[in-house]
Amino acid sequence: MTQQEIAAQEKRAVQGQEKTRAGRFFLPVVDIQEFNDSLKLYADMPGVKQSDVEVTLHGGALTIVGTVSTEAYQKLAPLYTEYNVGNYFRQFELNEDIDDQRINATMRDGVLELTLPKSERARPRRIEVSAR
Amino acid sequence: MALLRYSPEMDPVTNLIALQSDLERFLRNPGYELGVSGSGGFPPVNIFDTGDGVAVIAEIPGIDPKAISVSGQGHTLTIKGERRREISTEATGYHRRERAFGEFSRSVQLPEQLDLDKAVASYDAGMLTIKVPKAEAAKPRQIAVKPA
Repeated sequence: MTQQEIAAQEKRAVQGQEKTRAGRFFLPVVDIQEFNDSLKLYADMPGVKQSDVEVTLHGGALTIVGTVSTEAYQKLAPLYTEYNVGNYFRQFELNEDIDDQRINATMRDGVLELTLPKSERARPRRIEVSAR
Repeated sequence: MALLRYSPEMDPVTNLIALQSDLERFLRNPGYELGVSGSGGFPPVNIFDTGDGVAVIAEIPGIDPKAISVSGQGHTLTIKGERRREISTEATGYHRRERAFGEFSRSVQLPEQLDLDKAVASYDAGMLTIKVPKAEAAKPRQIAVKPA
Protein backbone atom coordinates (compact mmCIF):
# COMPACT_ATOMS: atom_id res chain seq x y z
CA MET A 1 0.00 0.00 0.00
CA THR A 2 1.38 3.39 -0.88
CA GLN A 3 1.40 5.83 1.96
CA GLN A 4 0.58 9.44 1.63
CA GLU A 5 1.74 12.28 3.84
CA ILE A 6 -1.07 14.51 4.99
CA ALA A 7 -0.86 18.22 4.39
CA ALA A 8 -2.50 20.59 6.83
CA GLN A 9 -5.74 22.10 5.58
CA GLU A 10 -6.33 25.76 6.27
CA LYS A 11 -9.62 26.19 8.14
CA ARG A 12 -12.22 28.01 6.11
CA ALA A 13 -14.31 30.60 7.91
CA VAL A 14 -18.04 30.72 7.27
CA GLN A 15 -18.81 33.54 4.84
CA GLY A 16 -22.04 35.32 4.11
CA GLN A 17 -24.91 34.80 6.53
CA GLU A 18 -24.35 36.44 9.87
CA LYS A 19 -24.81 34.30 12.93
CA THR A 20 -26.57 35.56 16.02
CA ARG A 21 -23.82 33.94 18.08
CA ALA A 22 -20.73 36.12 18.00
CA GLY A 23 -17.26 34.96 17.11
CA ARG A 24 -15.79 33.25 14.10
CA PHE A 25 -17.39 30.10 12.70
CA PHE A 26 -15.51 27.56 10.63
CA LEU A 27 -16.68 25.11 7.98
CA PRO A 28 -15.95 21.53 9.02
CA VAL A 29 -14.42 19.45 6.21
CA VAL A 30 -16.70 16.57 5.26
CA ASP A 31 -16.88 13.30 3.40
CA ILE A 32 -20.27 12.24 2.10
CA GLN A 33 -20.66 8.68 0.88
CA GLU A 34 -23.62 7.26 -0.89
CA PHE A 35 -24.98 3.80 -0.21
CA ASN A 36 -27.97 2.10 -1.80
CA ASP A 37 -30.16 2.75 1.21
CA SER A 38 -28.46 5.69 2.92
CA LEU A 39 -26.00 8.55 2.88
CA LYS A 40 -23.15 8.70 5.34
CA LEU A 41 -21.57 11.98 6.34
CA TYR A 42 -18.37 12.44 8.31
CA ALA A 43 -17.46 15.92 9.55
CA ASP A 44 -14.16 16.81 11.25
CA MET A 45 -14.82 19.12 14.18
CA PRO A 46 -11.81 18.91 16.47
CA GLY A 47 -12.50 20.35 19.90
CA VAL A 48 -16.23 19.65 19.86
CA LYS A 49 -17.51 17.27 22.51
CA GLN A 50 -20.43 14.92 21.97
CA SER A 51 -22.78 17.10 24.01
CA ASP A 52 -21.94 20.21 22.00
CA VAL A 53 -23.03 19.16 18.53
CA GLU A 54 -26.43 19.92 17.08
CA VAL A 55 -27.81 18.35 13.92
CA THR A 56 -31.13 19.41 12.44
CA LEU A 57 -32.98 18.48 9.28
CA HIS A 58 -35.66 20.89 8.28
CA GLY A 59 -37.31 21.22 4.91
CA GLY A 60 -34.55 19.30 3.15
CA ALA A 61 -31.79 21.43 4.73
CA LEU A 62 -29.33 19.60 6.93
CA THR A 63 -27.63 21.87 9.48
CA ILE A 64 -24.63 20.96 11.59
CA VAL A 65 -23.50 23.20 14.45
CA GLY A 66 -20.59 22.33 16.73
CA THR A 67 -19.66 24.47 19.70
CA VAL A 68 -16.16 24.55 21.15
CA SER A 69 -15.32 25.31 24.74
CA THR A 70 -12.59 27.76 25.71
CA GLU A 71 -12.09 26.00 29.02
CA ALA A 72 -8.88 24.26 27.95
CA TYR A 73 -7.31 27.65 27.16
CA GLN A 74 -7.64 29.08 30.62
CA LYS A 75 -4.41 30.70 31.76
CA LEU A 76 -2.62 29.94 28.50
CA ALA A 77 -0.78 32.67 26.63
CA PRO A 78 -0.09 31.99 22.96
CA LEU A 79 3.53 31.90 21.75
CA TYR A 80 3.00 30.60 18.24
CA THR A 81 -0.22 29.56 16.49
CA GLU A 82 -1.14 27.86 13.22
CA TYR A 83 -4.90 27.56 13.49
CA ASN A 84 -7.73 29.46 15.04
CA VAL A 85 -10.47 27.92 17.12
CA GLY A 86 -14.15 28.57 16.81
CA ASN A 87 -17.54 27.04 16.47
CA TYR A 88 -18.41 25.02 13.39
CA PHE A 89 -21.32 25.52 11.05
CA ARG A 90 -22.27 23.85 7.80
CA GLN A 91 -25.47 23.43 5.92
CA PHE A 92 -26.43 21.13 3.05
CA GLU A 93 -29.43 20.99 0.81
CA LEU A 94 -30.34 17.32 0.56
CA ASN A 95 -31.46 16.09 -2.83
CA GLU A 96 -32.34 12.66 -1.56
CA ASP A 97 -35.52 11.97 0.32
CA ILE A 98 -34.29 11.19 3.84
CA ASP A 99 -36.22 9.34 6.51
CA ASP A 100 -35.69 11.90 9.26
CA GLN A 101 -37.04 9.55 11.95
CA ARG A 102 -34.14 7.20 11.49
CA ILE A 103 -31.18 9.59 11.29
CA ASN A 104 -28.35 8.41 13.48
CA ALA A 105 -25.59 10.71 14.76
CA THR A 106 -22.49 9.83 16.74
CA MET A 107 -19.60 12.02 17.78
CA ARG A 108 -16.23 10.47 18.48
CA ASP A 109 -12.74 11.94 18.72
CA GLY A 110 -13.93 15.18 17.15
CA VAL A 111 -15.57 13.49 14.17
CA LEU A 112 -19.31 13.59 13.61
CA GLU A 113 -20.69 10.51 11.87
CA LEU A 114 -24.18 10.86 10.45
CA THR A 115 -26.21 8.10 8.88
CA LEU A 116 -29.04 9.44 6.77
CA PRO A 117 -31.31 6.59 5.66
CA LYS A 118 -33.13 7.16 2.39
CA SER A 119 -36.87 6.93 2.70
CA GLU A 120 -38.44 3.86 1.08
CA ARG A 121 -39.51 5.60 -2.10
CA ALA A 122 -36.09 7.21 -2.63
CA ARG A 123 -34.23 3.90 -2.75
CA PRO A 124 -33.10 2.61 -6.07
CA ARG A 125 -35.21 -0.26 -7.25
CA ARG A 126 -34.38 -2.80 -9.81
CA ILE A 127 -37.07 -3.08 -12.38
CA GLU A 128 -37.38 -6.41 -14.00
CA VAL A 129 -37.50 -6.28 -17.74
CA SER A 130 -39.84 -8.95 -18.88
CA ALA A 131 -39.81 -10.56 -22.28
CA ARG A 132 -42.77 -9.97 -24.48
CA MET B 1 2.18 38.81 29.11
CA ALA B 2 -0.62 38.31 31.57
CA LEU B 3 -1.81 34.77 32.10
CA LEU B 4 -5.25 35.74 33.29
CA ARG B 5 -7.01 35.57 29.97
CA TYR B 6 -10.02 33.41 29.15
CA SER B 7 -11.02 33.11 32.79
CA PRO B 8 -14.19 31.21 33.69
CA GLU B 9 -15.61 34.42 35.18
CA MET B 10 -15.80 35.95 31.72
CA ASP B 11 -18.84 35.07 29.67
CA PRO B 12 -18.21 32.37 27.06
CA VAL B 13 -18.75 34.63 24.06
CA THR B 14 -16.29 37.28 25.30
CA ASN B 15 -13.88 34.48 26.13
CA LEU B 16 -14.07 32.99 22.65
CA ILE B 17 -13.67 36.34 20.90
CA ALA B 18 -10.66 37.22 23.09
CA LEU B 19 -9.12 33.82 22.38
CA GLN B 20 -9.73 34.10 18.65
CA SER B 21 -8.12 37.50 18.39
CA ASP B 22 -5.13 36.32 20.44
CA LEU B 23 -4.64 33.24 18.28
CA GLU B 24 -4.85 35.46 15.23
CA ARG B 25 -2.24 37.82 16.64
CA PHE B 26 0.28 35.01 17.12
CA LEU B 27 -0.46 33.32 13.80
CA ARG B 28 2.88 32.01 12.48
CA ASN B 29 4.55 34.33 14.95
CA PRO B 30 7.91 35.13 13.31
CA GLY B 31 9.45 35.70 16.73
CA TYR B 32 9.08 32.03 17.55
CA GLU B 33 11.71 29.59 16.32
CA LEU B 34 9.66 26.62 15.16
CA GLY B 35 12.68 24.65 14.02
CA VAL B 36 13.05 21.85 11.53
CA SER B 37 9.56 21.00 10.43
CA GLY B 38 8.28 24.39 9.33
CA SER B 39 4.68 25.51 9.13
CA GLY B 40 1.96 24.04 6.96
CA GLY B 41 2.56 20.49 8.14
CA PHE B 42 0.03 18.15 9.66
CA PRO B 43 -1.11 18.28 12.36
CA PRO B 44 -1.37 22.05 12.77
CA VAL B 45 -0.09 23.10 16.19
CA ASN B 46 -0.66 25.96 18.59
CA ILE B 47 1.98 26.56 21.24
CA PHE B 48 1.20 28.28 24.54
CA ASP B 49 3.01 29.48 27.63
CA THR B 50 1.35 27.85 30.63
CA GLY B 51 3.32 29.78 33.24
CA ASP B 52 5.17 26.67 34.44
CA GLY B 53 6.03 25.36 30.99
CA VAL B 54 4.50 25.11 27.54
CA ALA B 55 1.47 23.41 26.04
CA VAL B 56 1.40 22.21 22.45
CA ILE B 57 -2.15 21.67 21.19
CA ALA B 58 -2.65 19.90 17.86
CA GLU B 59 -5.85 19.19 15.96
CA ILE B 60 -5.93 15.52 14.94
CA PRO B 61 -9.58 14.51 14.64
CA GLY B 62 -10.66 10.90 14.31
CA ILE B 63 -7.60 8.96 15.30
CA ASP B 64 -7.05 6.17 17.76
CA PRO B 65 -4.86 7.70 20.49
CA LYS B 66 -2.78 4.50 20.38
CA ALA B 67 -1.88 5.40 16.79
CA ILE B 68 -0.21 8.63 17.88
CA SER B 69 3.41 8.61 18.94
CA VAL B 70 4.83 11.55 20.84
CA SER B 71 8.54 11.68 21.48
CA GLY B 72 11.13 14.18 22.59
CA GLN B 73 14.79 14.58 21.87
CA GLY B 74 16.80 17.53 23.05
CA HIS B 75 14.41 20.44 22.60
CA THR B 76 12.53 18.83 19.74
CA LEU B 77 9.09 17.37 20.19
CA THR B 78 7.90 14.98 17.48
CA ILE B 79 4.32 13.93 16.80
CA LYS B 80 3.88 10.96 14.47
CA GLY B 81 1.01 8.78 13.42
CA GLU B 82 -1.36 7.68 10.78
CA ARG B 83 -4.89 8.78 10.20
CA ARG B 84 -6.97 6.11 8.47
CA ARG B 85 -10.21 6.49 6.61
CA GLU B 86 -13.26 4.78 8.06
CA ILE B 87 -13.80 1.52 6.19
CA SER B 88 -16.99 1.33 4.19
CA THR B 89 -16.73 -1.10 1.35
CA GLU B 90 -20.19 -1.02 -0.07
CA ALA B 91 -20.39 2.74 -0.70
CA THR B 92 -21.54 3.37 -4.25
CA GLY B 93 -19.86 6.74 -4.50
CA TYR B 94 -18.72 9.95 -2.92
CA HIS B 95 -20.61 13.24 -2.96
CA ARG B 96 -17.83 15.00 -1.08
CA ARG B 97 -14.32 13.98 -0.23
CA GLU B 98 -12.62 16.79 1.64
CA ARG B 99 -10.97 15.06 4.59
CA ALA B 100 -7.29 14.10 4.41
CA PHE B 101 -5.83 10.78 5.48
CA GLY B 102 -2.39 9.28 5.60
CA GLU B 103 0.77 9.28 7.63
CA PHE B 104 2.09 12.33 9.38
CA SER B 105 5.19 13.40 11.24
CA ARG B 106 5.72 16.80 12.71
CA SER B 107 8.58 18.17 14.78
CA VAL B 108 8.40 21.28 16.86
CA GLN B 109 11.27 23.11 18.47
CA LEU B 110 10.49 23.98 22.07
CA PRO B 111 12.01 26.79 24.10
CA GLU B 112 15.10 25.95 26.11
CA GLN B 113 15.04 24.73 29.67
CA LEU B 114 12.03 22.48 29.48
CA ASP B 115 11.94 18.99 30.89
CA LEU B 116 10.75 16.80 28.03
CA ASP B 117 11.07 13.72 30.25
CA LYS B 118 8.18 15.04 32.31
CA ALA B 119 5.93 15.81 29.34
CA VAL B 120 2.33 14.60 29.57
CA ALA B 121 0.15 13.98 26.49
CA SER B 122 -3.62 13.61 26.41
CA TYR B 123 -6.16 13.20 23.61
CA ASP B 124 -9.73 14.41 23.82
CA ALA B 125 -12.36 15.28 21.21
CA GLY B 126 -9.77 15.16 18.44
CA MET B 127 -7.32 17.47 20.21
CA LEU B 128 -3.87 16.30 21.27
CA THR B 129 -2.47 18.31 24.17
CA ILE B 130 1.15 17.93 25.24
CA LYS B 131 2.20 19.74 28.37
CA VAL B 132 5.90 20.13 28.98
CA PRO B 133 7.00 21.56 32.34
CA LYS B 134 10.01 23.78 32.89
CA ALA B 135 13.12 22.05 34.13
CA GLU B 136 13.72 22.42 37.86
CA ALA B 137 16.89 24.40 37.19
CA ALA B 138 14.93 26.92 35.12
CA LYS B 139 12.34 27.66 37.79
CA PRO B 140 12.64 30.90 39.71
CA ARG B 141 14.21 30.41 43.06
CA GLN B 142 13.95 32.40 46.21
CA ILE B 143 17.35 33.34 47.50
CA ALA B 144 17.51 33.95 51.18
CA VAL B 145 19.20 37.12 52.26
CA LYS B 146 21.31 36.36 55.29
CA PRO B 147 22.20 38.97 57.79
CA ALA B 148 25.87 39.83 57.66
